[in-house]
Amino acid sequence: MEPNPIENAFEGDMLGNVKAGFPSPAEDIREKLDLVKLLVRHSASTFFFQVDGVSMVDADMDEGDILIVDRALEPWNGCKAVCFIDGEYTVKKVEIHSGGAILMPCNGHNPKYKPIPVGPENNFLIWGIVTWIIKKA
Amino acid sequence: MFALADCNNFFASCERVFRPDLQGKPVIVLSNNDGCAVARSNEAKALGIKMGDPFFKIKTLVENNGVAVFSGNFPLYGDMSHRVQEVLRRFSPSVEQYSIDEAFMDLRGIKADFDVLAKRISAECYKCTGIPVSVGIAPTKTLAKVASKLCKQYPKLRGGCYMWRPQDVEKVLRRFPVADVWGIGRRSVPKLDAMGVRTAWDFTQLHENVVRKQFALPGFRTWQELRGIPCIEFEDYVEAKQTICLSRSFAHEITSVNELCSQVANFALSAVQKLRAQHSLCLEMAVFAFTNRFKDSAPQTHGSSLVTFPDGTSDHKAFVSAAVAATRELFRPGYGYKKAGVVVLKLAQEEELTGYLFADSAAARRSSRLSAAMDSVNSAFGPGTLRFGIQGDGKVFAARDHQSPHYTTLWSDIPKVTVK
Repeated sequence: MEPNPIENAFEGDMLGNVKAGFPSPAEDIREKLDLVKLLVRHSASTFFFQVDGVSMVDADMDEGDILIVDRALEPWNGCKAVCFIDGEYTVKKVEIHSGGAILMPCNGHNPKYKPIPVGPENNFLIWGIVTWIIKKA
Repeated sequence: MFALADCNNFFASCERVFRPDLQGKPVIVLSNNDGCAVARSNEAKALGIKMGDPFFKIKTLVENNGVAVFSGNFPLYGDMSHRVQEVLRRFSPSVEQYSIDEAFMDLRGIKADFDVLAKRISAECYKCTGIPVSVGIAPTKTLAKVASKLCKQYPKLRGGCYMWRPQDVEKVLRRFPVADVWGIGRRSVPKLDAMGVRTAWDFTQLHENVVRKQFALPGFRTWQELRGIPCIEFEDYVEAKQTICLSRSFAHEITSVNELCSQVANFALSAVQKLRAQHSLCLEMAVFAFTNRFKDSAPQTHGSSLVTFPDGTSDHKAFVSAAVAATRELFRPGYGYKKAGVVVLKLAQEEELTGYLFADSAAARRSSRLSAAMDSVNSAFGPGTLRFGIQGDGKVFAARDHQSPHYTTLWSDIPKVTVK
């Protein structure tokens, strides 16, 4: 096939890009805010969960919210944690006392949910610590 | 010192991270197309399930013992593997990924209590990723592999084993089967057996000349490494692969030529993407397809067809259309094809080849721009977003009846959590 001279001429122009005018003082500066850097401190240990079916809870979480969960963090008093209880993932509030930690229900109105003490025999309960809640406005 | 970090029962462990209810229960992961067991939890091993056991053979055992069965979820395993490596990099700047579940670490120049360090690396991997990892530290890579195997045998080691004192090494090697030593090929085992070599220690006691003569340079290296002299280089760069093979069994037998072409086109596209990722050009490629050899009643055939590219190519269009043409050539009507694939037999690095003088450069340039565009679209929006018409929906017909969600690689699949 014959090379197309018009196409080639056009490519030549593109290569010979002539610069004119005062150089931008910001030419080498290309900084951007990176949401991932803000939300994910430890990428190796950070996982995402999604909140499913919420009602009557006082935990700032709504259905569909994305939770950013870090496995590597040690729980602190008052933190929220993704726990694995009775075969499902559940968010609980962690209270730390001198005697150990207690998983508190986020739904204080429902007497069905009781505080669960965390002992050495069942510490697998805490899967990771919730570090951010992303919700749609 | 060198470390080897080996993830225990890796695929099964990945599935368990997201299914804590399976802790302590038997779990197996099946190969592509749910063919055979490729990973087993310790509990599944204890039931007698062997690596590579065909699924249909162990089905009753699986059902009777409540074994959790998973189809391979490779995006998940790949992501978890990266996470483990990321943790390893905190401990050493040079990490050599050896396979999806193993990595060597170069600890030369690092001063530490290595026994404590090995256990810390293991604990940190577990805390961050949930994957149990066996870390062996020793003066050579081969001994580090031995040490990591010890961690699996002795839970008391808490995932980390530092092995260096000559008397300890001797004690361990005396009980270590020579066939399990890294670098001892399956073919050498009968020869070693005839020489009376059963354990790794027996091997180290052979005379240098015997080893050099009988087992050539690789065998001699292993011999030296077992004697504590490092001689297998640390490779923290990835060497370009010399062959690329993409093949799959289909969930149902394919009898139409167009359907077979569409499947082969999918393999070809994956193969060309692998070529491009390592900046290689394909010189020779083969397409093959065969019928179900387990079905005695059906007529059997197998065919393959060779394609050469004298100038080398890594062009999507050229590669895929050649593969499709080769498929049409080998296809025989009246047969049910069960498996097909594309193999790149000969390849070269881009810079090794000089251009072909009479090549149609304008057309080639346009085509290479198309290839580059396909690469960038597919890397931005996911593989298979931009594809050739012949590929159909870009999916391979494979059985994946037991696949877990893509917990870490698809937004729609992230685990759900209730708030109570």
